[in-house]
Amino acid sequence: MTLLALDGVTVRYGRAVAVDGVSLAVAEGERVALIGPNGAGKTSVVNAACGVVRPAGGRVLIEGEDVTGRTPSVVVRRGISQVPEGRHVFSSLPVEANLLLGAYGRVFRLEIVSSTLRYLRSRREVREQLDRIYDLLPKLHELRERPAGRTSGGEQQMVAIGRALMARPRLLAIDELSLGLAPVLVQSLAEFLVRLNDEEGVAILLVDQSASLAFSLCERAYVLETGRVALEGPSGDLAGRAEVKSAYLGGGSA
Amino acid sequence: MTTFFQLVVVGLSTGSMFAIVGMSLVLVYRATGIVNFAQGVFAVLGGLLTYSLSQRMPLPLGAVLAALATAFVATLVAVVAVGIRGRTTHLASLIITVGIAILAEAALLAAFGEVPRSYSAVSDHAWDIGGVLVQPQYAVLALVALAAAIGLTLFLRHTIVGQALVASADSPRAAELIGLNLRSVAVIAFALAGALTATGGILLAPTVPLAYGSGLTITINGFAAAVFGGLASIRLALLGGYALGIVEQLVVGYVDPQYNLIIALLVMLVLIGWRSRGELAV
Repeated sequence: MTLLALDGVTVRYGRAVAVDGVSLAVAEGERVALIGPNGAGKTSVVNAACGVVRPAGGRVLIEGEDVTGRTPSVVVRRGISQVPEGRHVFSSLPVEANLLLGAYGRVFRLEIVSSTLRYLRSRREVREQLDRIYDLLPKLHELRERPAGRTSGGEQQMVAIGRALMARPRLLAIDELSLGLAPVLVQSLAEFLVRLNDEEGVAILLVDQSASLAFSLCERAYVLETGRVALEGPSGDLAGRAEVKSAYLGGGSA
Repeated sequence: MTTFFQLVVVGLSTGSMFAIVGMSLVLVYRATGIVNFAQGVFAVLGGLLTYSLSQRMPLPLGAVLAALATAFVATLVAVVAVGIRGRTTHLASLIITVGIAILAEAALLAAFGEVPRSYSAVSDHAWDIGGVLVQPQYAVLALVALAAAIGLTLFLRHTIVGQALVASADSPRAAELIGLNLRSVAVIAFALAGALTATGGILLAPTVPLAYGSGLTITINGFAAAVFGGLASIRLALLGGYALGIVEQLVVGYVDPQYNLIIALLVMLVLIGWRSRGELAV
């Protein structure tokens, strides 16, 4: 069953075309990578999928339902959460508040009283989810009272992932997992994502500049170039292709 | 010495008003990243509406209705300032609030006339404490400021709604991604701050008559109080308000009454210059 499908999505900023007719699909429980050089439009593709930018053309489907142009809160409630590029933790709030807000965002509306009541009603469920996140990422339990802005880059990436998981997504879209992190850290986060996928069945859409990370983590990959899908296929096939090698794997020297 | 204490008492009372406006500014800034230069207008609107309503109904009822009506006006200001989708940039929003403040002065003049308005205080009887006269109205204003400081601190730190407001200013991008509606967040913050500032204005009017043009002075004093804590701390805005109120009254009493607004501006400039080496970036 296809969980997320983009069908000929185009994104424009003013007159500049960032994404030009991109189609891609992620099935339930699948691990898919979206790779490409800086400025290829990767972030715009993910943002179009998550409702952050409104596509100028094409459709975004979640389980076959058209959500094109709907707000991010609609997309979150349909089961797709994004870990944004640069992590964007809520820096002045403690780690635990960051995580709880990940769940609260689903119920927050203008009606402050009713959304708070709804939150309080589901508090036990939220608490259980929080405990599960702490089981999965014990480091967050240690850090729970510290302001998120005063944790390291790797820890902030964990906070951002944990926060996204609090919404109980069926698909986790991660924009630049490896950006600015030590390779050892990236490796352990990648292992965590594989475990999450295996044990909880959460599908992964990994957006990264690093092809080697993407290929080792994901079954399938799309290669984006200047706003278009240049190549797609199983990671094993793509990794062997000469053009991918020279462009993203450092010409075999890396 | 009696004169000194008398000036301090009056200073604490006007300082409570500065603190109330300062805390309102902090609340809006912490939720939306916007400095609302129309904040003082809400105090004037609250006071003038209370005066008009009190001609037709009991004063307490008029005061409550005036505070609610001002909160509603504040929600409209919020939507104009942050845009329909809640995505106007902070700088543009700030300039929009300056425009609203100027427009509001004209609207208040048209609606309420140019006569400064006042009405009866909670009690006409002043307490005499060792020669220092304390108006009960002062005490009420100070209590409201203190209660608001405690309430707002607890709200922002420990309630999920308060944390959602803080989160939205910390990272609007991530707040959207977890499903928060930025416009709703702004509406909630502006409405709460509007009601609080209106309450301050309503309590101030019996001792300091309010006119259509009083908003700017109130905003500047409130802003100076808020800058004590870099626009981020409720507690420091409260202390800043008290300190500014006392200093202004001492200058009024011992130097020259005309200097009081200049003092506020001076304090504000020094603090901004000093703090801008740190985290404050307006």
